[in-house]
Amino acid sequence: MNFRKAFIVLASLAAITAGAWFSFQLASPPPAPGTATVLPATSELPEFSLLDQSGQMIGRDVFEGQCDLLFFGFTHCPDICPTTLQVLADAQQQLANAGREPLPRIVLVSVDPERDTPDVIGHYVGHFGIDSLGITGPMEELRKLTNSLGIFFEKSGPDEENYSVAHSAVVLLIDPDGRFHSLFGTPHKAENFVHDLPIIMSAR
Amino acid sequence: MKQLTLAVLSALLVLACSEARAPQTARAPLTVSDVVVTRSVPGMPMNAGYFKLTNNSGQAISISHVTSPQFASVQMHETIIKDEVARMVPIEMLNLQPGETVSFEPGGKHLMLMRPADDIDSVTLNFFAGASQLLSVSTVFNR
Repeated sequence: MNFRKAFIVLASLAAITAGAWFSFQLASPPPAPGTATVLPATSELPEFSLLDQSGQMIGRDVFEGQCDLLFFGFTHCPDICPTTLQVLADAQQQLANAGREPLPRIVLVSVDPERDTPDVIGHYVGHFGIDSLGITGPMEELRKLTNSLGIFFEKSGPDEENYSVAHSAVVLLIDPDGRFHSLFGTPHKAENFVHDLPIIMSAR
Repeated sequence: MKQLTLAVLSALLVLACSEARAPQTARAPLTVSDVVVTRSVPGMPMNAGYFKLTNNSGQAISISHVTSPQFASVQMHETIIKDEVARMVPIEMLNLQPGETVSFEPGGKHLMLMRPADDIDSVTLNFFAGASQLLSVSTVFNR
């Protein structure tokens, strides 16, 4: 009789504990990105016709099938562009080491298409990450993409040979459907991407 | 035992006195540390230099320009990010107040070193105030 009572008490305690645990799980919000701003609704990219690093014409469907981290910069930039691309490459490496595949692709869209030919940008992005993509092309086509994404860029400098380009420093996340999904503001740190990307992609 | 203790104390006192009498090494008015010159991507003309510059003197020091025999051009710049837009702004004069340390670091102040000579392994940076060279430092040219 005592054994039966003890069993009932233990079973009741186990049921209460399990109920409390499930309630806690249901009440706990899912993990949220710490840095990225997730758009309330993803947005479609515009039609455009630009060139990849092999000189092939590409359109918006180039962003379909993988998660892309888009940065707008230029290869003559000595500081913020290589620094940001190295942060993205470090994040990609850390995600790979943690087995968090599929890995995001690093994409550099040139805001200096005069100097950044497909060869130049291909050589450049090849030093940052795995299977990175470089995009360049005619200014009017580039503007279609930047305008729709709210990306600013402006040439400045003393002359036509020695100039710089001011540009938006954000990193955009384009989801595997090829839609603008989230945005990472400055300052960029690898750990921000390593933390947020798996959360964002698993929540889709 | 007492004699041994006295001997040790005496020796320590002599050491302390000689330390106190030792001439202080004079600190240079301007010193540089943590110098890094990065090869952005092989074959590309632009490279960046980072360091910490300290004014150890009692007077303000102004750096007008930096040169390097290994590069066609060296400019002091600052990346300024405002409203998420990055702009590279030339630094015409770098002013260091007495005791001040200024850091050149990624995403902030930096040297822009353009068009390196072929096959260089080390880089020399010369810091000037007008025509006067204040400091020279050499470092490896690394990635």
